[in-house]
Amino acid sequence: MAYTISSTEIQKTTRALQPARPTPWAWLMLPGSIFLAVLFVVPLGWLLLLSFGAPDWTIAHFVRIAQNPAYIGVLRTTLQISCVVTALTFVLSYPIAYALTTGGTKLRTFLLIAVVLPFFTSVLARTFAWVVLLGRNGVINEILLQLGWVSQPVALLYNRIGVIAGMTHVVMPLMILPMLTVMSSIDQRLLRAARANGASPLAAFLTVFLPLSLPGLIAGILLVFINCLGFYITPALLGGVSDVTITMEISAQVVGQLNWNFGAALSTVLLVAVMAVLWLGSRFFPIEQLLGFSDDKIGLDKTARRQMGTQWLMRIGSAANALDRWLPSMGGRGIPIFASFLAVLLLLPVVIVAYLSFSASSYFVFPVPGYSLQNYERYFSDPLWLRATVTSIRIALMATTMATMLGAMLAFGLSRGRIRGRGAMIALVLSPIIMPTVVVAVATYFVLVQVGLQGTEFGLALGHAVHAIPYVVVIVVANLRDLNPTYERAARSLGAGPLATFRTIIAPLVMPALIVAAFLAFLISFDDVVYVLFLGIGRIATLPMRMWEGITQDINPTIAAVATLQMVFATIVIFVNTLLGRRKAQS
Amino acid sequence: MLMRAMPSSTDVKTGGIALHSLQKRYGAAMAVDDVSLSVSPGEFISLLGPSGSGKTTTLMMIAGFEMPDSGRVLLDDKDITRLPPHRRELGVIFQNYALFPHMTVAENVAYPLRMRRVPKAQLEARVNRVLDQVHLGAFAARRPHQLSGGQQQRVAIARALVFDPPVLLLDEPLGALDKKLRQHLRNEIKTLHRDVGKTMIYVTHDQEEALAMSDRVAVMHEGRIRQVSAPQDIYRRPADLFVASFVGEVNLIPAKLRSGVAHGPADETLAAPAWSDGDMDATLCVRPEHLHLGTGEAAAPGIQGHVTGMTFVGDATIVEFRSNSGLQLTSKVLNISAGAMLGVGDNCTASWATNDATILTE
Ligand SMILES: Nc1ncnc2c1ncn2[C@@H]1O[C@H](COP(=O)(O)OP(=O)(O)O)[C@@H](O)[C@H]1O
Ligand SMILES: [Mg+2]
Repeated sequence: MAYTISSTEIQKTTRALQPARPTPWAWLMLPGSIFLAVLFVVPLGWLLLLSFGAPDWTIAHFVRIAQNPAYIGVLRTTLQISCVVTALTFVLSYPIAYALTTGGTKLRTFLLIAVVLPFFTSVLARTFAWVVLLGRNGVINEILLQLGWVSQPVALLYNRIGVIAGMTHVVMPLMILPMLTVMSSIDQRLLRAARANGASPLAAFLTVFLPLSLPGLIAGILLVFINCLGFYITPALLGGVSDVTITMEISAQVVGQLNWNFGAALSTVLLVAVMAVLWLGSRFFPIEQLLGFSDDKIGLDKTARRQMGTQWLMRIGSAANALDRWLPSMGGRGIPIFASFLAVLLLLPVVIVAYLSFSASSYFVFPVPGYSLQNYERYFSDPLWLRATVTSIRIALMATTMATMLGAMLAFGLSRGRIRGRGAMIALVLSPIIMPTVVVAVATYFVLVQVGLQGTEFGLALGHAVHAIPYVVVIVVANLRDLNPTYERAARSLGAGPLATFRTIIAPLVMPALIVAAFLAFLISFDDVVYVLFLGIGRIATLPMRMWEGITQDINPTIAAVATLQMVFATIVIFVNTLLGRRKAQS
Repeated sequence: MLMRAMPSSTDVKTGGIALHSLQKRYGAAMAVDDVSLSVSPGEFISLLGPSGSGKTTTLMMIAGFEMPDSGRVLLDDKDITRLPPHRRELGVIFQNYALFPHMTVAENVAYPLRMRRVPKAQLEARVNRVLDQVHLGAFAARRPHQLSGGQQQRVAIARALVFDPPVLLLDEPLGALDKKLRQHLRNEIKTLHRDVGKTMIYVTHDQEEALAMSDRVAVMHEGRIRQVSAPQDIYRRPADLFVASFVGEVNLIPAKLRSGVAHGPADETLAAPAWSDGDMDATLCVRPEHLHLGTGEAAAPGIQGHVTGMTFVGDATIVEFRSNSGLQLTSKVLNISAGAMLGVGDNCTASWATNDATILTE
């Protein structure tokens, strides 16, 4: 989801690369857009119709939501959790993003690992880590008991505390990455200029850095808030009976009670809420640009809107400067140390799960009584686990093939082709990662049922492909931006036809990006549990599905081994990505 | 805090900078190596050198953004080596200007005054005055990206002037501009220097700029200052081979100095100023415009050879000359008269006046 920030870049790039006349490139968009129309737009439309009781039109479902205190309670819980988590995430993320921008090379590398590794580790594995940390016999309670700070285990899991802690941890990378994108585009010399003009470090931060990083902060807050509203896995696994969120209610209605119309109505409410937040955000930030809804032009009125806040910060900065002489010199160490501490917290759950996976005990005991590979042995000798793994790989391969091919074609079409309504096209391509996954999955389920594809591995792969296409597009488009068109012109001038140019110039240069995109698409499908819960429940046992069942039923340490293997796989993806990136930078 | 009501042109006592053996190392490489320099109040001094010679690093140590590994920076005899940049009261004009993109021109210029908590009425008056001074009064409400490069440059200057610092530090301020504009702004900065009388330390890799603007030029190479002199002396009396070849074009002629006479590669006698260090091997430096090519009886004694190429460059013609011993020399002849000139292949003799040659030993 954090990749959406680059859609502004898509806009810029694509315009810069556009040839003067319409080109056949635009046709490349056709297969992908049909795919997304059938598997994304149609399902959401269908969902809307169902929520109004089609074919017997009624608004009774919405009335029921509005009048039943239970559902009002669900909405309130969702909103409360989302607000608290967003606020907490913001406070914890800003120092990390700041240190990531301004710190030394070593600090930056460490922080980046701390942000990126959890980001690529599946939400399920990270949520599982919190189950292990917060449980009655969990790591935190063990430590508290051993220190003698409490005499009985404290209830941390299956209540609001657990949900908020887990969700905050899971969404932090989503806040940090867009902040980082904007912050790292701030010219560091501006801070020097502020200092040279008499601003203390604090004043320079308040009057120059903070106002300039504002778009990133708003983007991060929006992304995280939207994500929280539609979050399913973490609240479902860590929350208690009083923490039912709207996504859990949707799942209960659709899967549990087969109450499709009402589930559709709840989904529509969630969808409208997300759109409303996006719209609200667009009043402070050119979100239409972030999502590709408009063709550029950040007008002056936007900057004027920000003016007020800036003036205010200027006053505070100026006041801070007057105090500078009396304030003790803070030295530059405070922020890096604090950021590193937060980064350790970000990494810790993931690390603890890996540590516990090597335990010699068949229960979660902290610290481990001894090391062994028994959890891994159990995984590799259990036909159920292995079959689930193979199923996951099979589905992921199907999804990867579809997403990579369609996504790459879309990317080429968007970059090189000229059509009307390209902005709308970009919005369509990117929205599967903005819309709540639960809603998209439910909608897809409704449509697949019509054609008898529900509960099939192919149907599931279709769903995963829709979700993976935006990532593929963003990665490939970013790569095409770096592809200097003069190479192609040179090839053409040297006698290569269009096809030969593609084969000898474009394809080899885009290949690394395609590989990265394919890995990411694979990871998205391989880690998914939300789609499986709706599209394949009871029929398809993927690896995450088995983990999910394991976590909800008996929390056995084999899951720790599986989660660790998933993390190792994520690490490989990051590594390949970095390696290909470096090779490209060298060439 | 510096808040004089009068412009500092009446006050030439402040603004002296002294650098004592500054050293700065990045990893294994010496970025600045034992740099000492004394700049008098009101002086315009350039740090001239190729890219990577340590000019910016030196300037940033004066501004307080880099901490020297050793050595001291003095401002008017006060040690400011450890003073943080915002308390140094030095105006800095950065490479690429570093204007705040989220503020208008007026807000940019007001920034240093806001940071000093200058009262509003006084602040506005000073901002307006300095904006008028750089002819940007009409652009106060614009944002930096709505200005041309030259206008942005003026805003940067206005911002650095408005709090009336005794010293301005400029890091390649004209680097991003095209040639015509560079020359124009060069004159503007020079005029400004005359008007405000501030000490200016000007970093550039453009020798023409340095020679045209400065009272003195400090030539830097590999972190060291090789020569500090008035522009004329830098050009006419370079202290070493690097300075000679970095500033302007030069002919380098290997010479053997034996008992008061200079001998060329083919043992011919060469014109050279007197020296006092006894016999040695040296290099004679002769600027192309001082190298005369003569034919026949009229030719002064010098190096025998022939013309290998001629290039017309407008005001002058560059004549390539190759001596019989294989030495390649260049002569620059002003196109004053349309009289008969040499042609390619003509035999001739290269000579110069005794005082136009510099002896360098290295
Ligand atoms: N922050 C830095 N880290 C490492 N090396 C640096 C840094 N800044 C400058 N250098 C090195 O120090 C030398 C001098 O740089 P600089 O002062 O920028 O030169 P100039 O301004 O004359 O081009 C160069 O070799 C440069 O690579
Ligand atoms: Mg420099």
